[in-house]
Amino acid sequence: MHALIQGIILGILTAGVYALMASGQTLIFGIMKVVNLAQGAMVILGAYLAFQLFTSFGIDPFLAIPITTVALFVVGVLVQLLFLRPLRSDDRSELSLLVTFAVALLLEGIMSVIWSTSDRSINTHYANSSWTVFGYQITLVRLWAFLLSLFALGLLYLLLNRTRFGRAIRASVQNPESATLLGVQSERVSAIGFGLGAATAAAAGSVYGLLYPFNSGSHYDLISRLLSIVILGGLGSVGGAVIGALVISVSSAIVASAISPIWSEMTFFIVLLLVLLVRPRGLFGTAARGAI
Amino acid sequence: MSEPILVLRSVVAGYGAGDILKGVDLEVQPATVTCLIGPNGAGKSTVLKCVSGLLRPRQGSVTYRGDVIDPLSTRKRLSRGIVHVPQDRSLFPAMTVWDNLLMGGYAMKDQKEVRRRVEQAADTFPICRQRAHDHAGSLSGGEQKQVELARTLVLDPGLVLLDEPSIGLDPKSRTQVFASIRGLAEQGITVLLVEQNARSGLAASDIGAVLETGIVRLVDSGASLLTNPEVARLYLGGHATPAAATAATSAPGR
Repeated sequence: MHALIQGIILGILTAGVYALMASGQTLIFGIMKVVNLAQGAMVILGAYLAFQLFTSFGIDPFLAIPITTVALFVVGVLVQLLFLRPLRSDDRSELSLLVTFAVALLLEGIMSVIWSTSDRSINTHYANSSWTVFGYQITLVRLWAFLLSLFALGLLYLLLNRTRFGRAIRASVQNPESATLLGVQSERVSAIGFGLGAATAAAAGSVYGLLYPFNSGSHYDLISRLLSIVILGGLGSVGGAVIGALVISVSSAIVASAISPIWSEMTFFIVLLLVLLVRPRGLFGTAARGAI
Repeated sequence: MSEPILVLRSVVAGYGAGDILKGVDLEVQPATVTCLIGPNGAGKSTVLKCVSGLLRPRQGSVTYRGDVIDPLSTRKRLSRGIVHVPQDRSLFPAMTVWDNLLMGGYAMKDQKEVRRRVEQAADTFPICRQRAHDHAGSLSGGEQKQVELARTLVLDPGLVLLDEPSIGLDPKSRTQVFASIRGLAEQGITVLLVEQNARSGLAASDIGAVLETGIVRLVDSGASLLTNPEVARLYLGGHATPAAATAATSAPGR
């Protein structure tokens, strides 16, 4: 029982980080109907940038987040302007799969050249610190990562729901033609939206680098998990991505502690398949469609 | 008659290789309601798109308040006061009614002024205040149309383009919507509307125009078109008597 509860705590803390990564993915899909297969590579790029700032300048990965998010925001805007905007809107959804996969490979290649393909990890002085609460161990890094993710998701929520630009994003998601007729410049919203999605990847990447060793090819595993989360939650719903991350991370952690860590890797996909059998649009795919 | 606020001259427009509009000529007088009727595929919605800038004419010109507006973007036409409400439900269903109204002033820079106008629009259409915090998608079809019309007011428009405002509405809601459209004209706003329900559309309009195969075939007052036997045969279900016209005028929802 103790192991099970410990697993659930671990799952919840991990879910925050995955929710942050997936929120960017689902935001991009909501605005542009683009499945961004480069989101995992952007997370890893964020991790490498945090790693470089830590090793070269001693900047703590959490404090590096403002720098990495701005850098990845610019990368995201450039990707949208250079690779996605030229696609014809009729074919954009289908072609974007190929284009964003190509962007992922391009980023992987650049990262391999700059940082080689060896595993890297960010080893801060508090990397192994932990608290014991009622007999359960809580790793300090995971707790901070969880809180940071909640904070970033809160900012994203405020941006989407309390600002004029956020209203324009939500309007573009729900009714693009009507938004255009009210003066929303959809291409501009798309570029900034893609940048925001990439920025969330950067924030999550800094944290990911603290939690796990990574290399330039780590994005393959990551993107499959992110897609599982956003499909489970319902494509286009940020709230769904948070719930999807919780369901998948907690169930995965429970299986790891109750059965075996080997099976835990499979849990992501088994849970996804089971949910899709019952709800083909994902948990929030109908009720919250277009609601981001 | 005063100077027309909107003039279309020999407008040719379409999608892909084909032309839908094949030389449309139309004049719209200020502070009036003009209704375009015609069969499916005649190009009624395409006319509205050419005016709002969603579609650029291949030939001809669109003039608004004396200026040729063909080179202007949708956004710039919006800032000049041309508001287009498309055929399908144009609200943002997962946003609140109030946020939908605020989106009506998205193109404006002065957000304080936007909020003032939203309050004014809500005064004109009380449903907006009653359901302010509800998601627009949870409103009935008639209520959504009221909110759409309220949203157009936020920009203080000179010309409102309405595409099938009565589509999918029950008779009572339809009556309310056409009464609201008359209300817009009484406030000095010009309305150009496209309507499949020709009888209701013409009854609520000062001027009617019949569009067939991309050309305006006939322009007359709404009341005259209601009594025109040919129009009646083709678009009003075959009944064109003065009595029918009177009934339709007094009850646009019918």
